[in-house]
Amino acid sequence: MANYLVTSTRLAGFKPGDVVTSTDLDGVNIEALIEGGHISTQTAKKSAKTKDTNEKE
Amino acid sequence: MATSVYLSNPNVTINSVDLRDQCTSATLNYVYEQLETTAFGDTARKYGASSVTSLQNNSVEIELYQSYAGSETEATIYGLVGIQTNIVLAPATGAASATNPIYTLTGAYLESHTPINASLGELSTITLTFTGGVLTKAVA
Repeated sequence: MANYLVTSTRLAGFKPGDVVTSTDLDGVNIEALIEGGHISTQTAKKSAKTKDTNEKE
Repeated sequence: MATSVYLSNPNVTINSVDLRDQCTSATLNYVYEQLETTAFGDTARKYGASSVTSLQNNSVEIELYQSYAGSETEATIYGLVGIQTNIVLAPATGAASATNPIYTLTGAYLESHTPINASLGELSTITLTFTGGVLTKAVA
């Protein structure tokens, strides 16, 4: 099951930044959505964990 | 009392993309092909019967303003030519109900598209005709 990042405001039921699965898009032509700029195969990456360098030992 | 329907904000999605704000016209034709069942002894032509089911032959005609901006009309439609997709139409946005039936045409085929349809001094529009597919109506 592939995940896609919603990249436009026009995808019905979703907003930009949402992650949808191929199951969510059942019956929808995914290639056309990618081509149209509505979704991307680049899913949102988790922000890297930061370490407080000023932390006292 | 007779009622009239004034549609100002119907729901129009093509391939799950909401193109309502580009749409000026949508016509959904719900058709079952007419099969003749006239037989000897009949005195008039007959079509169909309770036990005879024919094929649906549905179509949707949608008129849209053309736009070449990102994620707008052209970007959405161009990739749909020659393939099947889903069309969803409803009198209004919101949930399905008896007064807002949501019609879904699954597996509709777009044969052609006119990426350029320009006349001097006029907004460019495109008319799309989707054919085939199974129509379902949701009221809840």
